[in-house]
Amino acid sequence: NTSPTKIISSGINAEYGEKMPVYKMTIFAPDEIVAKSRFWYFLRQLKKVRKVNGEILRQTEMSNTSPTKIKNFGIWVRYDSRSGSHNMYREYRDVSRTGAVTQCYRDMAARHRARPHSIQIMKIETVKAADTKRPVIKQMHDSKIKLPLPHRILKYNKKSIFVADRPSTMQ
Amino acid sequence: MLYIRYIEVGRGCFVRRGADVGKSCVVVDLVDQKHLLVDGPSSGVERKVVRLNQLALTDLKINIPRGCRTKKIRTELAKDGMEAKIAGVSLNRKHVAKAEKAALGDFARFKLRVAKTATNRKIRSTVRKLKKSS
Repeated sequence: NTSPTKIISSGINAEYGEKMPVYKMTIFAPDEIVAKSRFWYFLRQLKKVRKVNGEILRQTEMSNTSPTKIKNFGIWVRYDSRSGSHNMYREYRDVSRTGAVTQCYRDMAARHRARPHSIQIMKIETVKAADTKRPVIKQMHDSKIKLPLPHRILKYNKKSIFVADRPSTMQ
Repeated sequence: MLYIRYIEVGRGCFVRRGADVGKSCVVVDLVDQKHLLVDGPSSGVERKVVRLNQLALTDLKINIPRGCRTKKIRTELAKDGMEAKIAGVSLNRKHVAKAEKAALGDFARFKLRVAKTATNRKIRSTVRKLKKSS
């Protein structure tokens, strides 16, 4: 599970009264420690500051807005494949940003064998239904949506593993 | 149509696995083909996302707009006693009975056994009598 944390840092080794730049990032990570680590990883790439020269001022876990409302998330990802680095735009339907990002990591692992260390979540945005691009997401945008459950196979308990008649899969 | 029970907004279900086992709820929205947003204000299921295989569907359906609020679901369930109907569906009753049986104490099980033997004896004797007379 990833959780977004907001991390703010500034440089140390400053003269008294000198204003040091303060940087803020939103990091998706399974826990606080990984979040801090990734924060420095990204900040190093973007600015000339290292963990040694910096100081984390504040780290807060961001709460999920409207956790019972289903939203469409557009996620801009950058990942390293075996032969190079690529950008992607992916869409997920979920109730929270963290859920969507978790889905993204699982999906990237499944579809592209990308490990978490090679994935960078560049941006995540809630997308309006009309602006979504992927057919998998768009198919859920039907106000009168309904699905049958043909041939529903539920995991039977071990007690009824051998039965005289085949179980009914009608729902 | 061949299928009566569709996964759709307003479908009454009951939870067969997970934290709220045995409670009835209503489908509020669909996240994807395997996850649903359900809500059971009167049965104590808080509004949340569940997996499809955690649910068993009932024949009953209430009329709610997609993604509507808990308050509206509560009022719709109160109409025509839908809440009681969904909770009273045979699947749910069986589940409740099973849970009750598992929670029986030793004395209760003894009483159950005595009652069962008495009933079976009566049934067998009646059947025998009918066979003899035919």
